[in-house]
Amino acid sequence: MRKLLLSLLLSAPLWVLGQGFQVNLQGQKQIGMAGAGSALALDEASVFFNPGAVTFLEKNSISAGVNPLLFKSAFKQNGSNITENVKNKIAPPFEAYAVWGPKSNKWKLGLGVYTPFGGLVDWGNDWSGRYALTSLNLKAIYFQPTLSVKITDRIGIGAGFVYNHGDVNLQRALPVNYPDGRSGHATLEGTGSGYGWNAGLYINTLSNVTFAVVHKSKVVTKLEGGTATFDVPESLRSSFPAGNTFNAELPLPSTTTLGIGIPLSKSTTLAFDASWVQWRIYKELAFDYAVNTPALADTKSARNYRDGSSFKLGVNHKASEKVSLRAGVGYAFSPVQDGYVTPEAPDANRYILSAGIGYAPTSRFEVNASFFFEDVQSRKQKNIETGLDGTFKTLVYAPGLSLTYKW
Amino acid sequence: MVGEINMKKYILNSFIAATILFAASCKPEIETPAGTSAGQANFSKYIAVGNSLTAGFADGGLYLDGQKVAYPNLLAAQMSTVGGGAFTSPFFADAQANGSGYLNLSALVNGSPTLTPVAGNAFRQGSSVFLTKYSGEVQNLGIPGMRVDLAFAAPYSAANPYFERLLTDTQVGTTTYFQFIQGRNHSFFSLWLGNNDALGWATNGGVTSDATNVLTDKATFSMLYSNLINALTAGGQKGVVGTIPDVTAVPYFNTVTVSALLAAAKAINPAAVAVFIQTGAGVRAATSEDLIRLPFQSAGLFGTGAIPYGLDPRNPIANNWVLDKDEIIRVKDYVNSYNSSIKSLANSKGLAVADTYTYLNMVKAGIAIQGININSAFITGGAFSLDGVHLTPRGNAVIANVFIDAINSKYSSTIPTIDITKYRGVKFPDK
Repeated sequence: MRKLLLSLLLSAPLWVLGQGFQVNLQGQKQIGMAGAGSALALDEASVFFNPGAVTFLEKNSISAGVNPLLFKSAFKQNGSNITENVKNKIAPPFEAYAVWGPKSNKWKLGLGVYTPFGGLVDWGNDWSGRYALTSLNLKAIYFQPTLSVKITDRIGIGAGFVYNHGDVNLQRALPVNYPDGRSGHATLEGTGSGYGWNAGLYINTLSNVTFAVVHKSKVVTKLEGGTATFDVPESLRSSFPAGNTFNAELPLPSTTTLGIGIPLSKSTTLAFDASWVQWRIYKELAFDYAVNTPALADTKSARNYRDGSSFKLGVNHKASEKVSLRAGVGYAFSPVQDGYVTPEAPDANRYILSAGIGYAPTSRFEVNASFFFEDVQSRKQKNIETGLDGTFKTLVYAPGLSLTYKW
Repeated sequence: MVGEINMKKYILNSFIAATILFAASCKPEIETPAGTSAGQANFSKYIAVGNSLTAGFADGGLYLDGQKVAYPNLLAAQMSTVGGGAFTSPFFADAQANGSGYLNLSALVNGSPTLTPVAGNAFRQGSSVFLTKYSGEVQNLGIPGMRVDLAFAAPYSAANPYFERLLTDTQVGTTTYFQFIQGRNHSFFSLWLGNNDALGWATNGGVTSDATNVLTDKATFSMLYSNLINALTAGGQKGVVGTIPDVTAVPYFNTVTVSALLAAAKAINPAAVAVFIQTGAGVRAATSEDLIRLPFQSAGLFGTGAIPYGLDPRNPIANNWVLDKDEIIRVKDYVNSYNSSIKSLANSKGLAVADTYTYLNMVKAGIAIQGININSAFITGGAFSLDGVHLTPRGNAVIANVFIDAINSKYSSTIPTIDITKYRGVKFPDK
């Protein structure tokens, strides 16, 4: 069995770790390890990281955490000497998990609520790319009830059903001018839903090296009857009718992860995750308006994402009975191809650095904190569709805190 | 236990250190050389030589709002970061901001524009042509209507109110534009002149009736243009010249189409078979290759009369309303010849060439710049103002960037480009 898995690992294609709108903040301990940990039965966040590992958790537990995320993006138009920055807006990725099962039994139930995709960028109404985008607020909240079963003492499988509640607010300026010179403005707002699943296999070998294979399915999120508001001079009103609505679809990609956990000593564990994010399903962003006019056709903006991938290496060190320390590094390959970089996701390959600490004052309570940093590389681009031409550079900061109760 | 306290202290200190580091390195930085170097050029005193486009003429008139966003003024503002000095323009006073008067888009009725004139308020007492004099140093030397041939004609300084405005009484009628632009101690210049040598004829439907609508002889053009360049580079100055756009790249010739006229005629009289035009070779039915001038739309002629105007070979659209396909071939040939003269003269003097001919042909096809779709459609295209020939503020910003790119690439300077999104297209009525 072990041999089989190893060969599987070796024959795996070159993994590409996709980012785009992906938010890698789903468990405080794993965040401290750069997001690695699918092969560790570390805590209740395994509901997300590997449902197959959930059944190996020793205790029942419930936890909740938040990772206020600061997405600091800057843009400089090609040839310009002015750098423009996004407004300081704090996105609140959060995660909550519960795991329960009868003691010494072969199964456990789990529930996870987390935010695997999202984006919060506000460039303001005056920046030089405002006709491409002024702001995006995208939230995807996944609800995932899960069952995890031990097949043997060393092998677990688990699967969960995923329901996504999506929320989007996309705004941009329109290049039509009022008599006082100001621009028109478009706001597209809506909620949608989608379904998927998350399944994983966890194997603890005789040497206690652990392996994980996890697949999270795509979740095609459909937005129906969203509101499309166009602020335009009255003389153009018939071209941009009031009370218009739109339908859209946002395909959130599937992810396949292979993980390894290596116990270096009694107190120190190494975790490595390689993920392949099948972003290629994000071909276009299309808006289908209920009312079309000669000036307002349905739009299909090519996105043409390719698959992305990431490699994450983390270490968890139990410094004492009560204190754990964590650190991680990672690298992710962007799914956004040249010519398709947009201000809503000014993506590029990125480095990940993280650190974390856990403190357990009693055997029942645990507090975990983490700090997650991403350095998204500078990328000079001219967008094929909008002609937005310049350099993007982004840094992401996300401190986080969670509380856990175990029994 | 002691170890644990030390550990906590260590962790606390680490967090404080991390926080400080965070605050300091929080903002992403993007390094570029823009705005740092004049390269081999010297922008300390820039002068702009040209016609209405240089003056900031827009919406069928010269008025203060248009003057302020003339491409040389936008260019001069960008030069200031690389050693550029002050740039003076013959602005109308605030109380006379309407200048010569201009057109305003007052309504869109079923997509058809209603253009309403705004009266000029800068006329001299007793005149509806001549404007309040402007005295003092000027670096924006653009004169609406100026042509390469007329730059050497002294009487034109008395006939052109925009030129007359800038001259003393003794200069009027005796000073040529060629003389006027000299002796200004400039260190850098732009020269975008010659458009009217072709456009004057074209916007009169290929009919010559006076000196402003002659199609300037090719050899004459080349000779006079070389005189201009020699004068402007007499002190070894560097500069940029602009090529002349294809006259058919402007909405003035692409808005009123033969097919639209015929469709309108058929809606009233289904028996209408064709639109008839008078050409140099006689009367014939118009095709999509013949271009009708924009003002024909509001001229109130089409279909009128006992023999419906333009719909019967006995009463065709007059020659001066139409740039027919033979005239188009002719004017294109002249523009190509002017441009090859301009480019070879510029190259011989080591000047930068802003190829507005090529660029406006791209605009005609439609381009996306910084999230804005720009094309040469009338009103909605965003680049051309309400007269269908001159630029909107956005069009001026786009063209100024063409000049900046040409200058930077020729002289290794790093004049920062203009954020075109700060400039408007046509203003739409909010009622």
